[in-house]
Order: sequence, then structure tokens, then C-alpha cells
Amino acid sequence: MSIIEVKNVSYTYDKTKFAVKNVSFDVKEGEYVAIIGHNGSGKSTLAKLFNALFVPTNGEIIVDGISTSQKDKLFEIRKKVGVVFQNPDNGIVASIVEDDIAFGPENIGVKREEIGERIDFALKTVGMEKFRYSSPDRLSGGQKQRIAIAGVLALKPKVIVLDESTAMLDPKGRQEILNVVKKLNKEQGVTVIAITHYMDEVLNADKVYVLDEGEIALQGTPREIFKEGAKIKSIGLELPLASFIAEKLRQAGVPVKDGILDKEELKGAICELK
Amino acid sequence: MRIEVENLTFVYSEKSKSLQYKALDDISLTIEEGDFFGIVGETGSGKSTFVQHINGLIKTQKNCKKFTVGEFDLTDKKCDYKSLRSKVGMVFQYPEYQLFAETVFEDVEFGLKNFFPNLTQEERSEKVKQAIETVGLDFERVKNKSPFEMSGGQKRRVAIAGVIVTRPEVLVLDEPVAGLDPKGKLEFIKLLKRLHNDFVKTIIIVSHDMDLVAENCNKIAVLKKGKIVETGSPKEIFCQKNIVENSGLDLPLTAYLQRELEQNGIKLNSDLTVDNFVEEVKNYYCKIKGGK
Amino acid sequence: MKEFSFGSYYPENSFVHKMDARVKILLSIAYIVAVFLVKNNTWINYLGFVPCLLFVIIVAVVSKIPFIKVVKSIKTIIFFVILSALLQIFFNKSGTPLWKNGFITDKGLYNAGYIFLRIVLVVMGASLLTFTTSPVEIADGIESLLTPLKLIKFPVHEFALVMSIALRFIPTLLDETDRIIKAQTSRGADFNSGNIFKKAKALIPILIPLLISSFRRADELADAMDARCYAGSKNRTKYKKMKLSLRDLIGTLFTALLIVGVCFL
Repeated sequence: MSIIEVKNVSYTYDKTKFAVKNVSFDVKEGEYVAIIGHNGSGKSTLAKLFNALFVPTNGEIIVDGISTSQKDKLFEIRKKVGVVFQNPDNGIVASIVEDDIAFGPENIGVKREEIGERIDFALKTVGMEKFRYSSPDRLSGGQKQRIAIAGVLALKPKVIVLDESTAMLDPKGRQEILNVVKKLNKEQGVTVIAITHYMDEVLNADKVYVLDEGEIALQGTPREIFKEGAKIKSIGLELPLASFIAEKLRQAGVPVKDGILDKEELKGAICELK
Repeated sequence: MRIEVENLTFVYSEKSKSLQYKALDDISLTIEEGDFFGIVGETGSGKSTFVQHINGLIKTQKNCKKFTVGEFDLTDKKCDYKSLRSKVGMVFQYPEYQLFAETVFEDVEFGLKNFFPNLTQEERSEKVKQAIETVGLDFERVKNKSPFEMSGGQKRRVAIAGVIVTRPEVLVLDEPVAGLDPKGKLEFIKLLKRLHNDFVKTIIIVSHDMDLVAENCNKIAVLKKGKIVETGSPKEIFCQKNIVENSGLDLPLTAYLQRELEQNGIKLNSDLTVDNFVEEVKNYYCKIKGGK
Repeated sequence: MKEFSFGSYYPENSFVHKMDARVKILLSIAYIVAVFLVKNNTWINYLGFVPCLLFVIIVAVVSKIPFIKVVKSIKTIIFFVILSALLQIFFNKSGTPLWKNGFITDKGLYNAGYIFLRIVLVVMGASLLTFTTSPVEIADGIESLLTPLKLIKFPVHEFALVMSIALRFIPTLLDETDRIIKAQTSRGADFNSGNIFKKAKALIPILIPLLISSFRRADELADAMDARCYAGSKNRTKYKKMKLSLRDLIGTLFTALLIVGVCFL
């Protein structure tokens, strides 16, 4: 079943140039979808369309049966679609972790006892129970971003949108976030829409959409996408390093096989040369 | 300018027993003129504290035996920091957030005015123009633009122009590619290499990106909890398994492959740059094919 | 900069720390009133400060806060205190001169000491509140105490939210200021030399980036709050409920004792 339907959506900030142009696709419940594009490709605009922070100029987005253009259903939509933004420093509202996670449930009028339960659950899911009473200022970037995810989880969303949530983190923090998101998707069936410009982050995805100048330039599974090396390059993105090296090897006359995505596959391909 | 450091220790909040925190612990290090030097380590390992010493943003504490940058002695209280800073440029993380002037021209000119107040208007214009063109922007088109109207990548270029406008011999960059998309990242590295071949003699980068470091640096220092674990070429650092793992770092892809392939009986001996790695694999391939 | 903690909160697990913030705020006000109630006529009235000082010492001991920290809290205003005392000594013309034709009078000296003690005691008492109560608790306490103002349509909830967000962002903005100062210093900016106008002008390269980044942060914060269903105080619940306990009663009685003591002396 589709949880999000994007139907011929366009969006413009200034009525002259469209940031998103006539985009259509469906996201199935429980799917892990990646949206990738260079800076300024319209991917962050798209992120804000999913939970009605923006409403499409043309077309329509249907979230779990509700159109985001319906103003009176705003909170229903935002309860269903949680967004984790790029800079965790700018999304945390309280000076104590548990107070911050309580913010969402408080807003929608959840009863006190249940808020406590939701905080327990959210912190456990992101593995931050130990920091319940800490100040977010003392946490690392990855930990702060996990708190931001917990803050979204406390609203019990069906879909989580990650709007470049790993862009400001160090490799360790990035890995922490990717692991948490993978777990949410696999174990709790949360639908994930990951927006990124890191090619290696789309490898987990069931489906990838490549955005360029506000339009979908490519779509498919990660393996299908990475076959299009030349096209990817032409729209300002790069292949993951492993695929890039494989391509260079082929150019140098070393016959490694096609469609290499990560380091393990590249290792295997070189071993097979024997 | 050669940078020599002996026994540098730095403690934050030295006076307060409860708050004090040792960020650097007995660091000794030499960075030669001409190096493309990488400083790596986990967040909180003291990398930023160290590099901020190089242009005197953080002053050495008493117990430091030696800290010289070219002819400047940083352990000397009378050190001429202003002159030092005109020769050692420092680019912080997200440098675009330091822009402030109404036009790109004025912003780039800022450092020049501060360091060399005696230049004539023409001399200044010429230098600003050079700096803006060096970072790959069209001087005529951008000079009167507000920096705040530009895209993220362009803003970063303007900020870099504002640092290199004094033609520093040493350029220190803290996480220079953070937040850039893949294309922006590649272009930025190209810019750094161009600068390194031009007037910037020494480049020092702090980075979490091991692939970038292995590809571009000729020497690397690994920091952990304020101490230097090891210094050496990328090959010396990344081909010793324990150094990288004990310091909480990732391996560059080429180093990882080389290590794994060796366990499968394929011995490669590249310097860990992509081109050299491809070359080595090709040689290996020709050898086994020739043998058949 | 990282070590900055607003209001110098001193985390401990003490009787006073566990008291309700609202009660502590009210009792601090009561204490300040008590200090101002100390009579002001003759030297013997100085005795009125004794219960106040005792009060501060006892509260500090019970809260497990080193007394030296409490004393140090006057450091920031010491200049102001000494200045007002000196003004009294040198310019108070009432009373009798201490020596023939001298300009220092007994009344001046008396007033100087009186003002000195009063300010020092008020600041020490107020510092005990900030030592034992985190900024967040103080903000929540104020919100709760202001609740009656809702009747006159004062936006109590919004006011409290603004306060707590401001507190939350102070360390972030200090970090950012530090980074911008360093970046501009690297570009040769000099913030310490020149006259006051030059110094003010030198601040522009710091203030503008800071302002712009604050706006950017505010924008992103607004999006993040919207995304988490924020819609003002309507239908909002509150996770943390402040509860009065026996502790608060004991604290109140103890403070009452102080006021009675002051009134009798």
C-alpha cells in the first residue's frame, strides 16, 4: 500500500523559477527510499513538502489518504510524517534531553503518563537511555542527532524523512545515524525517506530517486542507478569511491565486472581476476 | 616556513580544578615547507586546538619547549602575531558563516586592509581581483554582489578568497569540505592543489575524510586524546592495522582493499592514491595473465 | 567558552536542590525583603544582618555548596558595591565629622557599611537560588508563578518558551561567537586597540555574521518546531508537573523564622 503519493507536484518560492518540477512517485509502507541530488537540486524543498511545511504550488501530495493541501489536517499529517533536519543544534528546543523529547507529545496533548512511556521508548530505540537527564550541549553531533530522531519518534510517525541529517556529522556520527535508521526501518517497519548527497548512503535503500534541477533524472534500485555512471556525473554527483575505482580499472584494461557498489564487491572482483 | 613544535601541552580552564581539561598532551611535530599535511583523529582528539596554535589564536602555555613557524617564535610573548597571521591563513569549518560585508569586494578586502593599511587603492584592488579569480569566480560579475545572495559553494569560495588575499605561505584548513556535495568537494580539492602549486607553500588540513587525506597528503599525524599516536606518509600510517583501529579512525578505501587483498594472497604496494592503486592492480593483472 | 554555564548552576543532590523552584523563587524574594527590613538608625541595627548571614551560611551548608563559591558570587558587582560605599563615605555630609574639620562623618561611614552589607547579602542570597536551581527550572518556576496573568491575556506560555529557548541557545551562540572572533582575528581584525568608536566599528565583522546566523537558526528552529506539531499553548499538555512537598514547607518555615528574627532586632 502506498503511504505517500506524490502526484505531479511542482513548487516555486518566487513564482518565476520552480524548485520542484512536476514530480510524481509513490512510497510504499515500510519502504526505504533515498532521494539524492546536488546542492540546489530541489531535494530539501521536497523534504518540506512531505509534512506540509510547504504546500505544493501545483499537484498534490497524499499522506496516508490525506492531502497535504488540507489546512485543517495539518497536525494529522505532521504526526504521521516526522522530519529530522540537517543541523541538530537548531532543532533542539530544551536544555534537558527528556524535556526536548517531550516537546512533540506535549504539543499534541498526550497525557503525562503516556509521554513518560514515549520518552522511554524513543530513547531506547536510538540507544540514548543513559542521557535522559543530560544537557544536549554536552553531546556529540551524532548523539544530538539521535536525540532529534527520538524527538520525532515520540510522535509515533509512520514515515521519517531525513533531510540531510548526516551532512554535518563525522564518520562515526554518520554511521550511528545510519544504523538507527536501518533498525527503525527493518525492525519497526517505519517508512524511511532519506535525502542526501552521499552516494554511499543510498546503498541501503530499496528505491532511489535522483533529482536534478527539480526533476527526477533517474530512478531505480541502487544497482540500477550506479550503472549510469556517465549520467550521474553529468548532473553533478559522483559514484561511490568503490564504483569509481572499478570504472578506472576497466579503463586501464583490467576486466572487473560491472555494477560494483561497495568495497566488498570490489575486493571480490579483484580476487576473481586470478 | 617550517613549523617546529616540541613538548606542546595545552590545558583549557587551567585555573579551575573541576573544569580543567587537557586538550593537548606533550605534542612534538615538524611540518616541513612544501608539505600537504593531514591531521586526523576522532572528534575531541585535540586537532582543532592544535591548528589554532599555528597562527597564534591560542597562545602557547608555559611548559611548551619550542613552537616556531618560520622565523616566528610563538613561545615568545612579544611575537608579532599580526605579521604571523598575514603569512599563515586559517580557514575554519563552514567559513561562509564569517562573511559580513555588503559586497564581495569589501569582504575579500577586509584582511588586506587590516594587515597592510598602507597599500594604495589600486594595489588593493589588484590583489582582491587576483584572489577572487584564484578561487575560480568571475571578478567583474561578483565584485559588487552581496555575498549573502550567492549559493553555498560560492560563499565558501568568497571566504577562501578573503583568507588567501594576503598570499599566505601556510594555509590551515579545518574540515574544508564539510557540507559540500560531491562535485563541490572535488572542485574544492582542485582549488587547494592549485594553491599549493602557486604561492601557498604548505597546506595543513584537519579532516575526518580518510580517502581525501590518503589521496592528497604526503604526511599525516594521527591524534588521540591530545597525544600524537604516529606521524608518517599515508602508507606508513594506514598500512599498520593497529594505528588506525586504536585511534577510532576508518581506513581509506584503497588501504582497506590492499589489506584485504593481501590476506587473499594478492600483494599490492601502492602509495594509496587511487591512480597508483589502479596501476598496481593493472601490473598484478598483467603478471598473472602473462604467467598463464 | 564550552565551560560556560548560565547562572552558574552547581549540580548537587541536596535538600535545597530538590525543593520546588517556585517556592525557592518566592523564598528568595522573601529573603531579599528581609534584608531590606533591617533597621537603619544606629550601629546596633547592624545586628539585624546577623540572621541574614546565618541564613545564607545555613542554606549553603544544606545545599552542599562550598561557601567560598557563594562569597565569590559578589565578584562581578564588587566594583559597584565599593563605589557606592565610597560615595557614602566621601559625600555624605550629615552626621558629625569624625575629626575636626574632617569631611568624613560618622553617619557617612555608617551608611557605607550598611549599603555594603545589604548589597553583598542580597547578591549572596540570590546566587544561592541560581546555584541550586537550573535555568530551566527557574524558567518553569516563573512560568508557573505567572499563570494568574493569563487572566489579563498575558501570553505566559509563550513568554516561558521564549525564555527557555533563549537559555538553550546561549551556549550554542557563545560557541559561534568564539568561532567568528577567531576567524576574523585570523584575517587581521583587532578588537582591542583604538578608541571606543574604533572598537565599536571593529565589532561589525562579528555582529553581522552572528545576526545572520541567528536568523538562520531561528528559521530552522521554527521549521523543526512546526514539524513537531507546535501550535501554541492550545490543547498542550505538560510532561513535568511541579509538586510541593514537605521539604518546601520546612524551607518556608525556616525563612519565616529569618524574617521574624530580623524584625525583632
